[in-house]
Amino acid sequence: MIHTTPRAWPGRAWFNVENCVSGAAVVALIVLVVLPLISLVWGSLWTGHGIGIANFSEVLSQRLYFDALFNSLTLGAWTALLSIVIGVPLAWAVIRTDLPGRQFVKLTATLSYLSPPFLVAIAYVNLFSPRAGVINAFLRHATGTSLFTFNIFSMPGLVLVTVLHTFPFVYLLTSSALSSVDASYEESAQILGAGKLRTLWSVTFPLVAPAILSGALIGFVNAIALFGSQAIIGLPARIFTLPTRIYALFDYPPEYGLASALSLVFVAITVLALYFQRSYLARRSYVTLAGKGARPQRLSLGALRWPLFTFCVLIFVIAVFLPYASLLAVSFSKSWGLDFWKNLTLKNYHFILFEYDVTRRAILNSLLLATLAATFCVIVGTAIGWIDLRTRFIGRKFVDYVSLIPLGLPGIVMAAALIQFWLRLPLHLYGTLAILFLAYAARYLPLGVRSANAAMRQIDPSLEESARILGASWSRTAREITLPLMRSGLFAGWILIFVPAIQELSASILLFSSNSMTLAVAVYNLYENGYIEPVAALALINAAIIGIAIFLANKVGGGDTRFESTSN
Amino acid sequence: MSEILLRNLSKSYSGTEGDHAAVSEVSLTIVSGEFVTLLGPSGCGKTTTLRLIAGYLVPDAGEIRVAGRLLSSPKSVVPPESRGMGMVFQNYAVWPHKTVFENVAFGLMLRNVSKTEARERVGRVLELVNLAGLDSRYPSELSGGQQQRVALARSLVVEPAVLLLDEPLSNLDAKLRERMRAELKTLQRRTGITFIYVTHDQSEALALSDHIAVMHAGRLQQYGTPREVYCEPANHIVADFMGLVNLLPARLVEVTGTASVFESGQVRMTIPRPSGMQVGARADLSIRPETIRLAASEADLPGAFPARVLEQTYLGNLNEYVIAAGETQLRVQADAQAFFSVGSEVFALIDAQQCRAFASADTDTP
Repeated sequence: MIHTTPRAWPGRAWFNVENCVSGAAVVALIVLVVLPLISLVWGSLWTGHGIGIANFSEVLSQRLYFDALFNSLTLGAWTALLSIVIGVPLAWAVIRTDLPGRQFVKLTATLSYLSPPFLVAIAYVNLFSPRAGVINAFLRHATGTSLFTFNIFSMPGLVLVTVLHTFPFVYLLTSSALSSVDASYEESAQILGAGKLRTLWSVTFPLVAPAILSGALIGFVNAIALFGSQAIIGLPARIFTLPTRIYALFDYPPEYGLASALSLVFVAITVLALYFQRSYLARRSYVTLAGKGARPQRLSLGALRWPLFTFCVLIFVIAVFLPYASLLAVSFSKSWGLDFWKNLTLKNYHFILFEYDVTRRAILNSLLLATLAATFCVIVGTAIGWIDLRTRFIGRKFVDYVSLIPLGLPGIVMAAALIQFWLRLPLHLYGTLAILFLAYAARYLPLGVRSANAAMRQIDPSLEESARILGASWSRTAREITLPLMRSGLFAGWILIFVPAIQELSASILLFSSNSMTLAVAVYNLYENGYIEPVAALALINAAIIGIAIFLANKVGGGDTRFESTSN
Repeated sequence: MSEILLRNLSKSYSGTEGDHAAVSEVSLTIVSGEFVTLLGPSGCGKTTTLRLIAGYLVPDAGEIRVAGRLLSSPKSVVPPESRGMGMVFQNYAVWPHKTVFENVAFGLMLRNVSKTEARERVGRVLELVNLAGLDSRYPSELSGGQQQRVALARSLVVEPAVLLLDEPLSNLDAKLRERMRAELKTLQRRTGITFIYVTHDQSEALALSDHIAVMHAGRLQQYGTPREVYCEPANHIVADFMGLVNLLPARLVEVTGTASVFESGQVRMTIPRPSGMQVGARADLSIRPETIRLAASEADLPGAFPARVLEQTYLGNLNEYVIAAGETQLRVQADAQAFFSVGSEVFALIDAQQCRAFASADTDTP
């Protein structure tokens, strides 16, 4: 009994739903990523009257740009190193010891990761700016000299603020590696006579070393891409880095050629680091072998217990308590630095939420942009995941690779590429919400693709095949089987994009106008103009939105919000 | 009725070391209403053949016709959803987000069957597979065997002309497998649906099938009834795959009329020879362990040859021996009562009627 008439498939009927959806995703990928990137390369090679490498030779020879490159590398290297120093002990303590308060350490890492770095930078300026910083003022007052003060406007200050955002990468990768090292590896060493420390040193750490290094490299890439903290801390100290130097090149008169060349140098560093991270991790990842059934061994800390606990508490204080407590205090005071208890007020919140229409608009714009970008990226990501995993199109792997390109593009570079591409077209997108949407969509597309890819890998193809053989069409199968099964994974991906998008600064800073102001740009501009009390209030509202989003995600989506390697 | 015809079917996959032929030039006629098994070791091309029949794969060459209608050829393939077949997967593939009822009713919904009729038909088929009353359960609340029954019910409810089964029992434990095996056979008899069943388990194939297609290295080795493939294997590959076998290198030493004598070391046997085999040609003899009888003295087994016991293993229902006659070693299955200790002299007699001789395939002898 054959119920329907035969239909040629595949290769014959090109015009069907599957091909339309796949085609649309590829077009989106080209418009969002490929064409802007080509514009950037073109812009870097265009010297005004022909093609050449003049821009590159200027960027690589002039002190101005060379210093920026050097500062970025210094910042990245120190940040990566300190991320290991903080992240590895925390991970080990949580996964492998009987440390009290392990949940609290986990929470510290999560909150540090979620805190917008520019917010932490502003908080630390309030605490440690040379003269007005409250802790500095207190230390001066208490000791009578300024020997013990700490100037935040310095490279150490910048490293401090940045590492608070990047150590969670090392922490997360190391802890997941540590929890998949099966105890039998360590027990084998112990039965042969190795002591606990010897085992730790010669078995455990070598096994997770690829994960540690991988986390440090991701930390490096993220650290050098952060525009906000580098502008807030670096510029007053005259420390220019790649993002701030590229930003300065867009000041009137804009130097597109130099900006593009410098951007590509920036991209080269990022891509190199990510390449090492991938190949190193892929080649030397022993721990994945153990798989799910791994049973990690827990060590009794004994006398080491309290020193380690103190270390964890210290990290919490520096990474979470100090920034948030100071922002909270500042946001409720009439004027920071005066007697706190006599100056309590709610007027800062009133100001940014009700009086000042710029900040009100910024909040709404960011909510709109983050919602649209997250939805868009998840949809396109699903289509690209489908092409990669479920079709036999020639070049499907290539499509997948291209969709991951934005991982190698720092936000400000993405903005530089978009500006040049869209300025060439007769469409007037510059300064509109549309170009911000394009920037966010392009930046966060890899997160959408990865989430969808991971969700789709969980679905055995036979689940779809059995719908097909029962008579379901492609679109019916997608609607009834594939998408419902991917739902929680896609939802997690949506949150994964929404959270960084709501506080995006690196790309927005080049693309906004007064009409398309976003939350992070508003914070930055208010700070630049010295409104530190309203800034604190706005920053906390920003944090509250993220908190609410994650809370809702846990309620609705079953709480599967994993971290990824992109932030603002 | 809808006879299934595979003609010169070939399919290869491109891999890192060039193309790898998964199926080459398979031709097969499957009579409607039969229980047919594709049997072979993993990687022999049986699953690829099944997926070609289902329409998930496009053949590189050859064609598939059902009831005379061309369904697959390199140029065009009727998609799975238009073939009116059913398929049961190794991992059940029961949709975890749908209840048992929703799983089974899915195919009926696609065919716009009315709600009341669907309810009735689902009820009937669930009864058929012994799942009555579990309609509103989710797959995660069912055992492996129950999930397999849901998968079966889901395929059967739409009354396909052909049901394809890809190692459906391999994920079940031994007891359950035995029971499901019996149920599958009854189900096939009762519904009259053509079953095409893929397995690597020869005892499963022997127990279930009307016809068995033995496959190896992408090629069809033999197509015949269970009796034929076991007792009259077409070549040493089939003989070797269908249960335990002694494969002895031998030489054709004498031909008188239709009778031909083979010699392997000290063992001489009269076995029909493959057509065209000349005296002096090398051959492989396939001797099943259960066709060799052992005795303590020659008087008990006239015509037996002397041998020595090298190994003895007690298997409960039988005694297994490895014996040596000169250079030749043979595995023997004797009944549990007959006991010979290791090192003792015995006399062995091979039932030549149950043995086969094949042209030697030195390079391929396992």
